[in-house]
Amino acid sequence: MIKKLAPALFLLFVFPSFVFAQDFDFNRANSDYLYNLSLYREAHQEYVSAKEAYLKYKTLTSKNTALEKTLRMTQLRDEVVRTYLIALKMKLGETPGIFSDDKNVFNLKLDNEADWYLKHKEELSSAATLGDLANLAKVSSTRYSSRSEILIYQTLYKILLGKEFTLKGEIEIQIEAIREKLKEIKEKGDKDISLPERWLLETENRLLRFEEKVSASQAIMASIEKNTYRESVYRKAQLLLEEGHQYLKEANRYLKEIIREIKTADGNY
Amino acid sequence: MEIINQDFENILHTEKEEKKKKLIPKKMMLLGGLVLIFLLILILLEMSSVLKQNRVVPRLLPTPTPSPIPTLVEKITNQSFYATDSAVLKIENELKKIEEKLDNTDLKESSLNPPLLDWKVEF
Repeated sequence: MIKKLAPALFLLFVFPSFVFAQDFDFNRANSDYLYNLSLYREAHQEYVSAKEAYLKYKTLTSKNTALEKTLRMTQLRDEVVRTYLIALKMKLGETPGIFSDDKNVFNLKLDNEADWYLKHKEELSSAATLGDLANLAKVSSTRYSSRSEILIYQTLYKILLGKEFTLKGEIEIQIEAIREKLKEIKEKGDKDISLPERWLLETENRLLRFEEKVSASQAIMASIEKNTYRESVYRKAQLLLEEGHQYLKEANRYLKEIIREIKTADGNY
Repeated sequence: MEIINQDFENILHTEKEEKKKKLIPKKMMLLGGLVLIFLLILILLEMSSVLKQNRVVPRLLPTPTPSPIPTLVEKITNQSFYATDSAVLKIENELKKIEEKLDNTDLKESSLNPPLLDWKVEF
């Protein structure tokens, strides 16, 4: 028994990170993020109260309390962003339909960004005064608006694209299967397939329309770095993807019609 | 000439009884009246409390009961030779699965929205 368990125990003690990596998925990462977010909200409330008290009384005690609460709030703010970036990374990893090269590039960027917030969180502890702390906190604010926010929206968009391309791929597989079947029926000559062939053309047209919507959406997303209203840019791009999604639905509906047509004997409607 | 009853013992007794007879209905009526008034007050109080409750408690608006959406079962009356073809049935099944995925795809991912954080730390 011990002999059988030995390799597993060896792995557990020698490679604990290996075992941990097996369990760490998007759900776990998302739970970490949500937990930190709740801690941040509490800390923020305390920071607001401490700040008000300090500005009102200007005593040494209130100043020390304000320093303590501000430090906790800013550190948790960094932790929230860091854990959120990791959750995004896990979600991206679990989303099918994204090229592995793209995933690797995004993983690297997200890791770098998460590391930056970890280091910055430690740096915050070195602040001796409220002024120092405010200046250090501003550094993360600048970092978020200049880099992290863009990366966040680009990752979210990549996740949506992955979903849509997966569905499109699945529809294309069925188009090919139907095309093969229609070819077989045509060769046998036991059924009129002119109508299903027209439906098939219409289906392909819908996929072209989908591509057009995706291209327009990608063009909008490309401008996100230059635009200050990043959320609005992302929403516009996302809306176009939703429109494209309708074309995928139509394409699938047409394919169902083709199947119905194949299953029906000629001249019976 | 009026004949006076000489049976004085009985006369007294009957007068008392008559008085009793006259008094009992009066008392009974009085008591009955009081009970009625008491009951009326109770009813009025109850009604007023119900009316007050109706004012405070918002009315329950009628909500539509969810009626099952009838699913259209497509019936092909005259099936072709390919209606039972395994390849055709497989494609049909796959298309149903894709349809479900298309309907359930979340293209907003609102649970993944960036966190709202306070970026202004000023004193």
